[in-house]
Amino acid sequence: MISVTVVDYGACNLFSVRRALEKCGAEVTFADTARAIDGAQRLVLPGVGAFEDGMAGLRERNLVDALRNFASSGRPMLGICLGMQMLLSESEEFGAHEGLQIIPGKVVAIPRTSADGQRHKIPHIGWSQLEVPVGGHEWSDSILADVKPGEAVYMVHSFTAVPDDASCRLADCHYGERLISAAIRSENIYGCQFHPEKSGEVGLRILSAFIGLHAGSRIQHAA
Amino acid sequence: MKKRDVLGSYGLPVQVRFCQKCTVSNQRPRISFDSSGVCSACNYADFKRHSIPWDEREKELVALCDRHRKTNGEYDVIVPCSGGKDGGFVAHQLKYKYGMNPLTVTWAPLQATEIGRRNLDAFIRAGFDNILGSPNGKVTRKLTRLALQHLGDPFQPFIYGQTNFPLHMAVKYRVQLIMYGENGEVEYGGDMKNAFRPDRDIQDHDKHYFSGLPPEFWTEHGVSLADLRPFMAPPFARIAENKTEIHFLGYYKFWDPQENFYYCRENTGFAPNTERSEGTYSKYASLDDRIDGFHYYLAYIKFGIGRTTSDAAHEIRDGKITREEGIALVKRYDGEFPRKYYQDFLEYCGITDEEFQEVVDSWRSDHLWQRTADGWGLKFAIWHGQPT
Amino acid sequence: MKNVRLIPRLDIKGPNLIKGVHLEGLRVIGDPQVFARNYYEQGADELLYMDVVASLYGRNSLHEIVSRSAQHVFIPLTVAGGLRSVDDVREILRAGADKVGINTAATKRPELIREVARKFGSQCMVLSIEAKRIGPRCWEVYTDNGRERTGLDAVEWAQRGVELGAGELLLTSVDQEGTREGFDCDLVKAISDAVPVPVIASGGMGRYEDLVKVVLEGGADGVAMADILHYGRTTIPEIRDAARTAGLDVRVFG
Repeated sequence: MISVTVVDYGACNLFSVRRALEKCGAEVTFADTARAIDGAQRLVLPGVGAFEDGMAGLRERNLVDALRNFASSGRPMLGICLGMQMLLSESEEFGAHEGLQIIPGKVVAIPRTSADGQRHKIPHIGWSQLEVPVGGHEWSDSILADVKPGEAVYMVHSFTAVPDDASCRLADCHYGERLISAAIRSENIYGCQFHPEKSGEVGLRILSAFIGLHAGSRIQHAA
Repeated sequence: MKKRDVLGSYGLPVQVRFCQKCTVSNQRPRISFDSSGVCSACNYADFKRHSIPWDEREKELVALCDRHRKTNGEYDVIVPCSGGKDGGFVAHQLKYKYGMNPLTVTWAPLQATEIGRRNLDAFIRAGFDNILGSPNGKVTRKLTRLALQHLGDPFQPFIYGQTNFPLHMAVKYRVQLIMYGENGEVEYGGDMKNAFRPDRDIQDHDKHYFSGLPPEFWTEHGVSLADLRPFMAPPFARIAENKTEIHFLGYYKFWDPQENFYYCRENTGFAPNTERSEGTYSKYASLDDRIDGFHYYLAYIKFGIGRTTSDAAHEIRDGKITREEGIALVKRYDGEFPRKYYQDFLEYCGITDEEFQEVVDSWRSDHLWQRTADGWGLKFAIWHGQPT
Repeated sequence: MKNVRLIPRLDIKGPNLIKGVHLEGLRVIGDPQVFARNYYEQGADELLYMDVVASLYGRNSLHEIVSRSAQHVFIPLTVAGGLRSVDDVREILRAGADKVGINTAATKRPELIREVARKFGSQCMVLSIEAKRIGPRCWEVYTDNGRERTGLDAVEWAQRGVELGAGELLLTSVDQEGTREGFDCDLVKAISDAVPVPVIASGGMGRYEDLVKVVLEGGADGVAMADILHYGRTTIPEIRDAARTAGLDVRVFG
């Protein structure tokens, strides 16, 4: 059985994530120490709630360096929702806060109004269709390999991740007429703004693909 | 005011016991418990569910209707109703399923509620002839006050009138058949002797509804015979000559008040109240009179059995709620004072709050009530567990 | 336009799925798991579980039902009914819920909203409001499954709840619930206009047009349905198609 480690830093309900991973055939363990993270083959960083609280939780448990080391080791890593946002350099939520700085970029608030002045409901809650970003790569060598553009996933968020390098945007979705990041990727590191564990069969396919990633591989982007 | 002899007046057992299956206690007048501690209403409910050949009973109903049906445009059955779910069910079934020509008759509530009037109107609009009998308002108020003061139940005169009005209408319109919904004594635990027949003797009236007070009592208090006429039954000779029969649809069809609610929602425009009735959790029963809360409240004082207990009991028997839920509901709502219409009620009866409380206290029997820090409490409540 | 969420609402009493009218006269329909699985497979966007006797017993009893559902159902589960403290919320989240709906306890102690939002996130804290019309454009908040009045104005209460941290509102019309006569669109619009968070409308769905109306006129972001699904009057794919035909955006499923 393939083993997946989920980081437990007090920031959310882990049960859904575990259940979904188990449903996809993984053996799930939880890590709340640096050592446990070091020993993981595949790592999932979940999270809901405020960026500042999430980062505080990681720091309290001395997990920041372990996470950064894991990321640079080439082993598969998946950040979900807040977990994805924390992969970036910083967030403007409730002031400026430093993230894990694994993928350069910023976390910014979803604009409260659309381009034509219509008010947006915040948080953005609901199902959004995944799309290939403009100028982006198709998904066949990623965790979205079994997903077709247009399939929907479940999002709940008020902030959105903006990687500095646009080629890190793996999938986008619309909110109003704006495109926001739904999934990002940098080599072995993935981030999903949506909740694959709550996105029905589509989400389970994504988790299965993540579980199926070769541990220790460094996938190169097609040039 | 002198303390009443509740035990004696109603023939109640001194030791309170609760039915093992529902929420009712042995303090309900005329109820009986078997050796397992199960009340007669629950036993009847079991019997009703498992041992009655309903298709046979329906055939009896069809035969009864065939016997009484008139094809010359005249009414062939009197259906007492209030615009609520029970009468509505009876009337609708008889007219639209069994091809009868019912005259529905309503005895006016003492003080109609908006929802009650709306439901009655919706019922009439759904396709029924209806006669509303409104007795002299001044007399009714006096009778209500007298009943409160002397019987501890302001609703008794209303009940007399409501019971006898269909007999008046039957005699006047020369209709032989009066069809009620359920036989309350059978369904809710009381005198079981009528459980296995579809009808009841008309002489039985007095014993169940008049509480042993003859009309002479009223005349002594300044209420004339003419004043009482509408409340009393027509002369028995006229009733007999008309060959009047009182039947219960509950004998012929499986009776379930909550199902009647659904049925009437679909078929007669019945709407439940959007807030629960005071003294209970339910919103679909007995909605039409602002005063009836006081009838239930006084029953609670006399017997420790409030509206919630009764509502929960039949819902338990009909499989709608569990006994555990019934007990939790009783604990929360039973005996709740009907505050909403209290001022209306006092004004209607022409009495003060003190006078009302005096009446209430006179009916608090020592075998049921004890003083507590903030007033009175039941010595034995169902949520205390079974007393040993 | 963003996708409207189709959310089956399962009213639960003890082990049973039930359904009422005006939150009254509750009929047993069947095993909640069977219905939940079926709705998931049909493509429900979320599921909403309401424990309708919770406030009577002073506790929410859906833990086992939710746990079992969460084994097979991988869409968001919201659980409401009888949740009165942060501990209650923690327990039900552990059991598998993603969001909690709180009504009675919040009206008695509004700070609870803040505490839950702080601890578990605003996205988890759904303020559940039962509202009854008391005048033109005026609604009162009810609790205990439509049995008790609070004296609170629904719109003001909604705003206050959001200020305290509620990330979403579940709005049930006591007048329309179970009637199949449509939603109270005025109510939904009044609340939706007053708050910046998503609003889920509940209570009254009878026809596809009702859903379209409550989204277009009321501004609902999600629609909770019970009667129309539990009694098999229609299916979620049919509702999806009808919504799409009417020009609404709904999730592409299947």
